Amino acid sequence: MNVDIQSLGTFNQLAHEGAEQATQSMGQMTGIDAVVDVTKITLLDRADVGEELAGRDFVGVQFSFDGVLEGDTVLAFDVDSAGTITEEMMPGSSDDEAMARSGIEEIGNIMMSGFIDGWADYVGATIDHSPPEYIEESGGDVLPDAPENGDHQQVFVFKSEIEWIDESVNFYIYMLPEYESLTEMMVEHVDTDGDAIPIDKLQTFNEMTTSGTQKAADNVEMMTGIPTESEVTQISFAPIEDVPKQIGTDTFVGTVVEFTGTPSGYLMVLFDEISAINVAEAMMPIEMDSDELTDQHKAAIEELGNIMTSGFVDGWANVLQTSVEHTPPRVVHDMGRAIMDPLAAQVGQHQEHAFIIDSEMQTDDIEFKAEIHALPDEKELRAALDDLDVERATETGADVEQIFK
Amino acid sequence: MPDVLIADDSEFMRNLLREILEEDHEIVGEVENGVEAVEVFKEEGPDLVMMDIVMPIRDGIEATDEIKSSNPDANVIMCTSVGQEEKMKEAVKAGADGYITKPFQKPSVMEAIEDVVPS
Amino acid sequence: MKVYDGSQTESPEQSTPERIKVGIAEYKVTTEPAVLTTSGLGSCIGIAVYDTRNTVAGLVHVMLPSAADIDGGNHAKFADTGIEALIEAMADAGASMEAMEAKIAGGSDMLDFSENGSSIGSRNAKKVRETLDEHDVPVVGEDLGGDHGRSVKLEADTGNFIVKSANTDSITL
Repeated sequence: MNVDIQSLGTFNQLAHEGAEQATQSMGQMTGIDAVVDVTKITLLDRADVGEELAGRDFVGVQFSFDGVLEGDTVLAFDVDSAGTITEEMMPGSSDDEAMARSGIEEIGNIMMSGFIDGWADYVGATIDHSPPEYIEESGGDVLPDAPENGDHQQVFVFKSEIEWIDESVNFYIYMLPEYESLTEMMVEHVDTDGDAIPIDKLQTFNEMTTSGTQKAADNVEMMTGIPTESEVTQISFAPIEDVPKQIGTDTFVGTVVEFTGTPSGYLMVLFDEISAINVAEAMMPIEMDSDELTDQHKAAIEELGNIMTSGFVDGWANVLQTSVEHTPPRVVHDMGRAIMDPLAAQVGQHQEHAFIIDSEMQTDDIEFKAEIHALPDEKELRAALDDLDVERATETGADVEQIFK
Repeated sequence: MPDVLIADDSEFMRNLLREILEEDHEIVGEVENGVEAVEVFKEEGPDLVMMDIVMPIRDGIEATDEIKSSNPDANVIMCTSVGQEEKMKEAVKAGADGYITKPFQKPSVMEAIEDVVPS
Repeated sequence: MKVYDGSQTESPEQSTPERIKVGIAEYKVTTEPAVLTTSGLGSCIGIAVYDTRNTVAGLVHVMLPSAADIDGGNHAKFADTGIEALIEAMADAGASMEAMEAKIAGGSDMLDFSENGSSIGSRNAKKVRETLDEHDVPVVGEDLGGDHGRSVKLEADTGNFIVKSANTDSITL
């Protein structure tokens, strides 16, 4: 089942324009000036959808839609921003619960119609949606529950982040189409065969990456003694200019390498400053107890980044029975987006869209969180997927003993 | 007491290896790339080289190849974060005698050394 | 619903100027005393252009040197077409070509893995200078190169261009 890059781009554009249409409707109704920051398509484990919403409370509206495309969409506002929005629509209404709720339902209804209509127009068929259902939930629960026995564990999710100009409040539009109806629609809209991606193998690749992340997390645990859990692993697809936005504007410490082979590209391991200090000190034989990031910390991070990088890419090489070389790590300490920016620019010299592979790991013991982001060259990734033997997908490890007999 | 040369571009890793090894071994040198590894090997003729793979200027596999071609009796243990089967095969081809993947624990390092240079 | 009658149009507070965010491969123009901002410049360059006589100012965040090198994509992604689009939009907004000045920041060489040839950062910088020169817009301030990222703010009414790096204090061009 092949899908070309162009149609992935078109679908991303549809979601983006839908989100813009929805945002504009909201602007007309409330006078609130907002812009759609990022829209991306992400392939991830259904159970991990909405992980990034953890720890915050949301209100929103949920719809199901059917027709040529089936699934659910959700519009989720931070609790605070929902209050502001209803207040803008009908002053005084945020104190009246029923009224506030009805306001959110109505605005959601109008916004989501705008969101869905573009899709229907594109495919030249109708997509019906159900009446809005008001929801008030914490974190990822704002999204519909995963089906108990879905055929596909991994799903494509379209996610738009909308940012208010004057305030640091965001809201989100999620679209969760049924895997089958979406991929059928994608396959039908293939424009060219030249740059086709075998979409099923993308799932296998994602599974390999999940085990690579686990290996990287095990490596962290061995070097630091800190029990480390790998969290979400996902592959996203976005226009190249949206790639740096995948990382926050905060300052990060970490390593960047260029990797070559099949696939090739760039890989970064990033820690927030506190995590970097914590993890570096856990690696050091002597107590440092420093609040500042020193050169010793950076040396430890350099080696940790190196080992995590290997843990992450070795699985690809072993499954594909090839080798993936990487440069010695370069240590970075800078604003997150500025770190990603030159890498996106290098990749952007040859392609308009990019796949971004993201993983996260963390621990409950101390404040520690790490992110791994890989930015593969599109052609090489396609070649890797072509070469990928799905049967070998679990052969991510190498047997040293066997080779050094 | 066997003498050892450590080749690794990471200062952190050189320190860690030195701490593990210095009790029972004489460290004759610590270098940061493959070119220096070959040079110091020729000067010092250590019993064992602990060789990283991914290093700037010249990688550890090339350096191992040169050391082993000039002196087939040399003992080289790859000590690397790379856990790729194809790389391990390349290391074998270059003549490596052992392969330790990072992160390692002291016992596995001691065991690998014992296999290659029995005391 | 928002009621569009007189009672709703409270005058906005004058104390804080409007902030206009400019994303990667985007440009924005304002005729208000607003602050145009863009963040996370690595090898990218932020080009601020303002009219020294009237309040018309614009900021573009470009990623790559030339649109001729790659097909497709939006104009604001490239130094040559991005600057052109910005200058045109400013002229449309009432800026006079003769009164335009530019200040530029970014173009860092950080994380340049190319072993031969010049970095994207320096190629971006070269193209930005060339293009501004072609349009006779003088560069009156710059903070380019190095190996660190930057975020920038342009005050539309003063032409002050504030450059901030992760590990240093901000400078005003």
